[in-house]
Amino acid sequence: MFSKKRALAGAAIAAGAALVLAGCAGGGDGNPDAAPTFDPNEEVTLDLAFWGNDVRAELYNEAIAAFNEEYPNITVNSTFLTFPEFWEKRQTEAAGKNLPDVMQFDYSYLRQYSENGLLLDLDPYLGNIIETDPLPENILDIGVVNDTTYGITTSTNAWGLFTNPVLLEQAGVEEFEGGSWEDYTDWMGEVTDGAGGAFWGGGDYTGRIQNFELQLRSEGKNLFDEDGTPGFDEERLTEFWESGAPIREDGIGIPQQRVEEVAPKGAFDSALTASELTWDNFGAGYLAGLGESYTELGLIAPPVTEEGAKDLYLKPSMLHTISANTEHPEAAATLVNFLVNSPQSGEIFGTNRGLPASETALDAAELDPLSQQVKDYEASIADRLGDAPPVPIVGYGTLEEKFRQLGTELNFGTVTVDDAVTQFFAEMDVVLNQ
Amino acid sequence: MSTTATRVIVTGEKPSRRSLFRRSRPEHVNRPGQRQRVVKETLAGYGFLIPWLVGFFGLTLIPMAYSLYLSFTKYNIFTPPQWIGFDNYIRMFTSDPAFVQSAQITLIYVLVGTPITLAAALGVAMLLNYRDKGAGFFRSAFYAPSLIGGSVSVAIVWRAMFANDGPVDNSLSAIGIDLGGWIGNPALVLPAMILLAIWQFGATMVIFLAGLKQIPKELYEAAEMDGAGPWHRFRAVTLPMLSPVIFFNLLLGLIGAFQVFSSAYIISNGTGGPAGMTNFITLYLYKRGFSDGQMGYAAAIAWVLLIVVAVIAFILFRTQRSWVHYAGDNR
Repeated sequence: MFSKKRALAGAAIAAGAALVLAGCAGGGDGNPDAAPTFDPNEEVTLDLAFWGNDVRAELYNEAIAAFNEEYPNITVNSTFLTFPEFWEKRQTEAAGKNLPDVMQFDYSYLRQYSENGLLLDLDPYLGNIIETDPLPENILDIGVVNDTTYGITTSTNAWGLFTNPVLLEQAGVEEFEGGSWEDYTDWMGEVTDGAGGAFWGGGDYTGRIQNFELQLRSEGKNLFDEDGTPGFDEERLTEFWESGAPIREDGIGIPQQRVEEVAPKGAFDSALTASELTWDNFGAGYLAGLGESYTELGLIAPPVTEEGAKDLYLKPSMLHTISANTEHPEAAATLVNFLVNSPQSGEIFGTNRGLPASETALDAAELDPLSQQVKDYEASIADRLGDAPPVPIVGYGTLEEKFRQLGTELNFGTVTVDDAVTQFFAEMDVVLNQ
Repeated sequence: MSTTATRVIVTGEKPSRRSLFRRSRPEHVNRPGQRQRVVKETLAGYGFLIPWLVGFFGLTLIPMAYSLYLSFTKYNIFTPPQWIGFDNYIRMFTSDPAFVQSAQITLIYVLVGTPITLAAALGVAMLLNYRDKGAGFFRSAFYAPSLIGGSVSVAIVWRAMFANDGPVDNSLSAIGIDLGGWIGNPALVLPAMILLAIWQFGATMVIFLAGLKQIPKELYEAAEMDGAGPWHRFRAVTLPMLSPVIFFNLLLGLIGAFQVFSSAYIISNGTGGPAGMTNFITLYLYKRGFSDGQMGYAAAIAWVLLIVVAVIAFILFRTQRSWVHYAGDNR
């Protein structure tokens, strides 16, 4: 007992000395006197939670093993769940102030968790434990809520248009060459005609809130501002949903019933549609879903609402955060730094979590053709990339899901556009006044 | 007895024993030694009850009371609940079409599914009761689905069976009925769910079977002597004699049907789709609570569900006077 106490005291002194030294060195931004340091001799156990599947879990195991070579005294216990279950579990843990030390985190929950004091303020660790040099300023800014950094972006993605070359060849239609949303609808119609009932050119894109966001951004607006003010009114949403009517009613888009039947797979990775607007890191999953006969997909920029508008933006495909209640913030920050910045993590994860945001990790990552394609795509849309919108409002996930559900109902014809708009605004009223 | 006994323990007061025990002392307790033994036995009794009491208060009563309180609040799990009175209840019935739809499909599911399930269970139970040859095999065969009934695997199988190009679709197409898949069709997914419920009649059937075995053979023989045909025997003997079991199964069936969750969750991938047609009350309140963080609203929905089930159970109990016959009952 006594010796353990002495060891602790020794550790404390060492930590104190290190602190002083760090202070003298004056390293890091922020307040150099308070720069936290990590004691490499303290035995620490950290909980790490992420969403994913067996494949990703295996990568995390490798990464933790590599981490332990450097930091043998930090034991990392990791757990994983699928995405919806992951968040259900976090909700209950958050209620009990019992979140895991380090979490893989989603952008849409960042505001909710940080504004409720559940996440650790990472500013004191930036520039010392968490290296900031490999992370561009605009990437670091993604994890900032109310002027405080709560999350470190592991990887980025952007909205894009995937196409299926095999189906396009079958339909005898050229790749979509870009243009307005109407052009895209016409092109979908050509593919559907060419397919002769075997597949469709695409689906009703008005069911996705991101496509609405893209149009709003062309008009210089956001879906929601920082304070939750929507950048659209009932009239604008009506206009948007009505613009999908030809796709729904003229037989251009895939019928909703077919979409429901292949769930949880999507219409695109079931080879039922030849195009899909979604995040550009979905390609690997699509290829896996489509099977061995597919080796490549098309990935091009989405239709344009207004020429020259900065409607696209880079979004974090995921972040890493630390629980405000962690007993070992320094060790947790060390782990986060390793998972985001280290060449080992770049090598191990590749683009499993999206295109690595950290330059050191990206340099070490071996890019398969698809990842290279994503990288090239993100470079090709550089002139359409604008500033990222404000961190999503609390309840954004609920509204996104409501939007999607109303979209499916529009496709089934069980709701009119006017009713759908009324319902969405009623939901918004509840969510925004929470 | 209990209060006085605990008071001694808790406060350590030493009032005169005589006055302490006078009021609650049973008549036969008159010797001091016996009195002590009664106290001891009572304490032991409560001691043994403690696990149950802790469970009852800690896991049932207090959480229920808390959820009732939450139903009058806005509660997103993260920030403390905020009292809003009846707003949740008002919202449910005035400005939430998803709730109204959810209540409607749940009612249809209960009102259509439960009677058919009972009828099917009774029918098969009577067939199995009719002859004993191979009864064991058939009993197990019919019971098996309800053993695994609530499980995820059955819902997945159901999903596959009723999907587009699934066995059901294909066999219907073969005889010229082209409905397509049921699971993705808002008009057909509810019937598919009801069929799934009916298919899981095994537990109900076993209880019916036990009830049928209890009916004295003499009654049937007497009825036959009087010239009663099979239908008349069923009306005059089986139904009345079985009525307590029917009542029991009806009550349990209704309550169970109101709480359908896992099959809907699996068949719709947790979305309640297509077009909200599998969004049963329990699934809806679960999504509201755990995905949308509207715990107060979810609690309010849960209480409405509880009240509806309670009212229906109450009405059933009131009507049993007119149709349920208990042995030795002189009514």
